[in-house]
Amino acid sequence: MRTLRLFLYGIPAALLILLAAAFLNATFLSVAKKNEMSIGTLGEPSTLNPIQQADSASSQVGGLIFNGLIKYNQNLEIVGDLATKWELSQETTFEFATVEEAERLKNRWQSILLFGRYAGLVPAGLQKYLESCNPVTSIETQGNKVIVLLNQAGQTFSNILLSDLKTNHFSPLSFPPLEPGGKERPFKTEPIIRFNLRDGVRWHDGASFTSADVAFTYRAIMNEKVASPRRSDFKLVDSVETPDARTVVVRYKKPFSPALLSWMTAILPEHILGKLDPSKWPEAYNRAPVGTGPFKFGEWKTNEFIRLKRNPDYFLGSPWLDSVVFRVLPDPLTLQLAFQTRQVDFWNVDPWAVKGLQGDPRFDLFSAPGNAYNYIGWNLRRPMFQDLKVRQALAQAVNVPQMIKYILYGHGVQSTGIFTPQMWFFDSSVKPLAYDPEAAKKLLDEAGWKPGPDGIRVKNGQRFSFTLLANNGNEVRRDIATLVQDDLKKVGIEVKVEIYEWAVLLKRFVNKGEFDAIVLGWGLGYDFDQYSIWHSSQTHPEELNFVGFSDPKVDHLLTDLRQEYARPEIIRIAGELQQTIYGQQPYLFLFVPEGTEVMWKGAYRLRHPGPDGTWIDEPVHMTKAGWSYDMEWFYRPEYTPKPTANTITR
Amino acid sequence: MTSFLIRRLGLSVVLLFIISIISFFIVTLTPGSPYPWGELNPKISAEVKANFRKKFHLDRPLHEQYALIMRDLFTGDLRSIKDDRPVMSRIMERLPATLALNFTAILISLSFGTLLGVYAARNAGRWQDMAGSFVAFLFIALPSFWISYLLAIVLVKGFHVPILGTHSYGIEFPNGFATGLDTLWHLLLPATVLAIGGIAAQSRYLRATMIGTLREDYIRTARSKGLAEETVLYKHALRNSIRPLVTGIGMLLPALISGAVIVENIFAYPGMGRLGYEAVLERDYPTLVALNFVVAALVLIGNLLSDLLYAAVDPRVRLE
Repeated sequence: MRTLRLFLYGIPAALLILLAAAFLNATFLSVAKKNEMSIGTLGEPSTLNPIQQADSASSQVGGLIFNGLIKYNQNLEIVGDLATKWELSQETTFEFATVEEAERLKNRWQSILLFGRYAGLVPAGLQKYLESCNPVTSIETQGNKVIVLLNQAGQTFSNILLSDLKTNHFSPLSFPPLEPGGKERPFKTEPIIRFNLRDGVRWHDGASFTSADVAFTYRAIMNEKVASPRRSDFKLVDSVETPDARTVVVRYKKPFSPALLSWMTAILPEHILGKLDPSKWPEAYNRAPVGTGPFKFGEWKTNEFIRLKRNPDYFLGSPWLDSVVFRVLPDPLTLQLAFQTRQVDFWNVDPWAVKGLQGDPRFDLFSAPGNAYNYIGWNLRRPMFQDLKVRQALAQAVNVPQMIKYILYGHGVQSTGIFTPQMWFFDSSVKPLAYDPEAAKKLLDEAGWKPGPDGIRVKNGQRFSFTLLANNGNEVRRDIATLVQDDLKKVGIEVKVEIYEWAVLLKRFVNKGEFDAIVLGWGLGYDFDQYSIWHSSQTHPEELNFVGFSDPKVDHLLTDLRQEYARPEIIRIAGELQQTIYGQQPYLFLFVPEGTEVMWKGAYRLRHPGPDGTWIDEPVHMTKAGWSYDMEWFYRPEYTPKPTANTITR
Repeated sequence: MTSFLIRRLGLSVVLLFIISIISFFIVTLTPGSPYPWGELNPKISAEVKANFRKKFHLDRPLHEQYALIMRDLFTGDLRSIKDDRPVMSRIMERLPATLALNFTAILISLSFGTLLGVYAARNAGRWQDMAGSFVAFLFIALPSFWISYLLAIVLVKGFHVPILGTHSYGIEFPNGFATGLDTLWHLLLPATVLAIGGIAAQSRYLRATMIGTLREDYIRTARSKGLAEETVLYKHALRNSIRPLVTGIGMLLPALISGAVIVENIFAYPGMGRLGYEAVLERDYPTLVALNFVVAALVLIGNLLSDLLYAAVDPRVRLE
């Protein structure tokens, strides 16, 4: 009986005492002062192998461990990372039935393009063009082939050569198509990128970084066993050669300018992974990677944290922080609590909470429009949406500024087309269509939609009534649908809103292209190539041009854009593309939500390498590439030595 | 006894097989697909998607997928769609934390539940009992996420006490004792939240049987013999009322594991509930199927243990 009573009272009493003691113990704990940056993430990275990941949590961690060959600087210009220099060139090859014909063409082009004898050989317009910019560096024959080497890449100059050869009655043979079922090609155009690699870069384990690592990374991405989501970026690579340890030469099958950006991909160590079967990577490497970046991998406690340690031998200099820790806090409220008690240093705030923090002297806020936009896609296969006037009327009838005010609490900007303001090729001259219900009514009248007896517009006996789809669980999209329904009712259009599960929405409606209108959003990187979303060849089931948009001018611009390598030209073509599509209103472009990050005031500053061996010391601030650009150079003022003489302080 | 064990184990295997089929189809027939990069992603080509489907056998008919998953589960080759690691090692690295959490929660609910149940039965009908009933039903009714959030806000904002994970992050402890207490704190806090419903339920079960037992003739006999009230209560009445508690243990385990999903998420506790929650969101079929399998096995073991205990506390029950 005693023992029973002992258990009965003893166990609860013991538990209570333990709980009290543990609680007291916890109240006396104080966080040890450490030169460590603490970042909270809701999701845990899936892997730290950068070529096998596609989630943002993984790439955030990987960004501090690895380097690519090139990267964006804070103004989103492409600069070298592991490469110090890169050169574009291109080989254009014409093939003929006879060696004589090839020799004849070589002699003609040599005298024009290499020796500048234009007189009587080319029209005056072309002569002027060639005198201002002649990209040809050599012309050779190889049997019955003429190979022209250019110091630029792209389709344009090859087309000039082709037309010259045709007007002068040369008849080149065709090359077989690149893809089965494709068109035969009158010539072969092969862009070449030559990278010069940085000297003296070492992997975290001390081994030297060489061109073999770059070639290995390419092979790994293309290896089916690796199942890399980046594989499609490298599909057009013909070969990756390494003439010496500091040089990489990449040859492409055809001009494809987004390919240059793909070399921002992190480079993997061949000396570790080369001998290892990819099926062993998940355990052997992906959770304890070796890179070249400013921080080394330290420790990964599953579902708790990942800690990175400073790499004192980083090729740009040692970072200031001893360590960076990514804490996995899956619940938004506890993440917020962790920020408020300074257990994590940054907090991504929901739009509704931003106002309460603005003007609070304890915090620094960083806000910028993200790389995503929301839209309503009109199914252009439906007759009622085929009239441009109707689509313009719809755009003018919906009050987007009010939407931004009520749904995003003012933290967003009105979208003006397929690119968002942060992108370097965004055309800010495109102005959004203003909210003007009267103008919308007039346009609808002109299009033949006249108000019917019940107030809903009618044309040829058909009421202007359609179903607007949105997905369950996304409150922003649900609210958009409601506001649109209300706005369009005012101009005499009936909208029925239907909400489905995401998977059902895709399977039953989007993938088949069977819907009237749909609320969706695109999350985009800094890639200008939107061929898969807008080209008229991409309208089949399960393809991304599910609204069925088709416009010959847009098709042309999309094709030109992905063959254009020069930055000013890309900006020009992208601008024209944005204007053209916005003019066509295939979507009702709604808004670009703004993201806001909060930091405890002055918790970090930034001291990063400047030009010519100097250092730049400045507060953390918003750049074109975001507030956390250069995060590896963040430092905590209380732990970091005073700036040296060659530091410029801002 | 031996034949009982053999029969029960055989039955468990059959049951596990059926559970695995049901859980596989529930998991795979749920809308959604397991693309780690999202479904409408312009950067992912159709070829990459096809390659991915092939790698995880998602291009096969469902019954073949089931066979392949079970084959891989037993050969240890079953890999998670999320990070390509063997599923069993993902589960095993979380199993100790989950078991610790659940056993602590069971201990708390049984000990406090018994205490409160006896107290309520003793004062049946009086105000202490009424108040106890009120609190018990309140505890059963309050959702654990609400209690967790409230605790989190009060403890963190009011007392500046760290509550996340299995130990306080970024703290250097003066000695092993403080470290131990800290680990205990991070275990006791979520366990208490988990146990709250259990305490209330256990105390209600016990109160009901105990009131019945106290009306029995042998209790009156014991009292009229002049035995001390304590002895009557604990030696005679409680021993004969304890059976529903034992049954309760078997039922507690599944309830705790499902409750742990939310609590583990809020307290960022690295247990199996959180693994399952993330796997559901990511449609990580292999992890989900394996996890269901392990949890089902745990529950079956729990039930077996509670049956054995049943026989131990009640001599009338024979295991045959």
